[in-house]
Amino acid sequence: MTHPPRACPDIGAWRAWLDHEDESTGLDEHVSGCAACQHLVADLREDAASVHTAFALLAPTGLPSAAETAVARERLRSHRDQSAPPPFPRPQEPIPMYLTRISTPWRVAVGGLAAAVALSLVIAFTPEGGAAAASFLAQFRSQQVAAVEISPQSQTEILKTLTALGNLGTVKLPGGVVDPARPEAAARGTAAQVATMSLAEATKAVGFALVMPDPATLPTGLDKAPQVSVMPANQVRFTFDKTRAAAYFKSTGHPEVSLPDKFDGATLVVSIPSAAILQYGDKSARDAVIVGEAGELVVDVEGGKVSLPEMRDFLLGLPGLPAAAVSQLKQIQNWSETLPIPIPIDRVNWRATTFGGHPGLLLDDNSGVGSAAIWHANGHLYGVAGSLKATDLERIADGLR
Amino acid sequence: MLSAIEMPRAGTSGRARFDTLFTQHYSELFGLVYRVLGDRMETEDTLQEAFLKLSVAAELQTRPDSEVGAWLRRVGLNLAFNRVRSAKRSQARLERIGRLERPDAEALENNDGPAGHVVRQEERAAVRRALAEVPERQRECLLLRHSGYSYAEIAATLDLAVGSVGVLLARAEHAFRTTYWRQTHP
Repeated sequence: MTHPPRACPDIGAWRAWLDHEDESTGLDEHVSGCAACQHLVADLREDAASVHTAFALLAPTGLPSAAETAVARERLRSHRDQSAPPPFPRPQEPIPMYLTRISTPWRVAVGGLAAAVALSLVIAFTPEGGAAAASFLAQFRSQQVAAVEISPQSQTEILKTLTALGNLGTVKLPGGVVDPARPEAAARGTAAQVATMSLAEATKAVGFALVMPDPATLPTGLDKAPQVSVMPANQVRFTFDKTRAAAYFKSTGHPEVSLPDKFDGATLVVSIPSAAILQYGDKSARDAVIVGEAGELVVDVEGGKVSLPEMRDFLLGLPGLPAAAVSQLKQIQNWSETLPIPIPIDRVNWRATTFGGHPGLLLDDNSGVGSAAIWHANGHLYGVAGSLKATDLERIADGLR
Repeated sequence: MLSAIEMPRAGTSGRARFDTLFTQHYSELFGLVYRVLGDRMETEDTLQEAFLKLSVAAELQTRPDSEVGAWLRRVGLNLAFNRVRSAKRSQARLERIGRLERPDAEALENNDGPAGHVVRQEERAAVRRALAEVPERQRECLLLRHSGYSYAEIAATLDLAVGSVGVLLARAEHAFRTTYWRQTHP
């Protein structure tokens, strides 16, 4: 039996030696000649391996990417900015002109739809599960609706993110290229295209048979002949531009975020269907009811260089998109045919229900001013809003034929 | 994970310095705190709290990166353990883990479906139960080491001499293994 060349090191030294953290000389030589230390080291090695295996179960499936880190940083900054008292009295956020002419409940519904359309740019590419991502040129077609609860802070963050999205490329509407600094101009332009016409003309314009409320369900005293108007179909094309994106990220202090090469030139195409609007009673009148009917919202990708998972990862990693909203979007099972409806939970109550046997959402604003319903049926999107109690409005929505 | 540059950064502007620290430490802290909480949203919220504290500690931000990193790990672990200890949040956490945790990567790769996912959830719960029985200092040492931190970083985080980390780790691993074996082989 050989004798160890020095006194046995303590357990801590051996544990550090196993991790190559102990630079002391002589340990290799000692262990080769000391049976007691060999036994100790073997035990330590077994303990370490056992713990390593167990702790591997606790590791996250992935660490945050640079983009996700930037998102978290922006979230913190936003939180801090909102916590700090404003330096000056803040002017009330201006409401777009085309919305001021619409009664509150319909504004809620229209606002929700507009936000849903915009959000769909992001949402259409958030599949959770590899199988759903197999189709490269996957197409989003709205067939149903789902609520996504949005806090006041998240509303600001989403708006900022979507505005920022415009800086990563070029937004094109039928009327021309949109200035990213003035997106509201495009919205006003779209609203100005609404045309009043007869029911037959509206049916022809939207391309499907319009349904009408059961007159018995409408509030008494309300004119049962609606004023009919049509908002024409529209298409928004967003083409990613690497050069613009790089300049934007650099200007905002995020040089670490970049648009992958594959995105350069890829185009998201959002096809917004034409919509018929049936208005019962004057918009300013008490108990006014508005019924909206539209086709499917379709989101497509052109320019086949970028894969769906890559598109998803990048869009989800955009700085500023709130994690809570992203998590809710990921919970949507049939993501490729579900239109998420953002619900501002500080102002709107909601519940899931059915209208004519089709699942949808019933909203009522917290002030008691009005309510709205939105649902999908047979490939068409329907909405009803009015200065009514939610139960009365639900009856109208349920009776559309 | 120690930064190669250990000089104080007093000359760097406050916002740029904070952004650098955030970018440098967020991802690694996520890995550490997630191992305690097992929930991505709770981990994100905990890190928001930790970095919020850092954002108002101007003097701390001027210290070398290694000191700030150690401080963040201490605060992150404390906040995470506070969350675990909170009975109210603990219940919500359990519910959320079941509802929101991303599908385990290995379960997806093996295509073993929901059953495999449930099994792994049980295994993770067993590890956390055993970990909860290990003395606090040992528990922190285990989490740090098995999240990939060096002995120097562990020492700085736990305010120990580097030479003491090996002993603490050896005892912690043995205690954990014994407890884990006892719990999983009743």
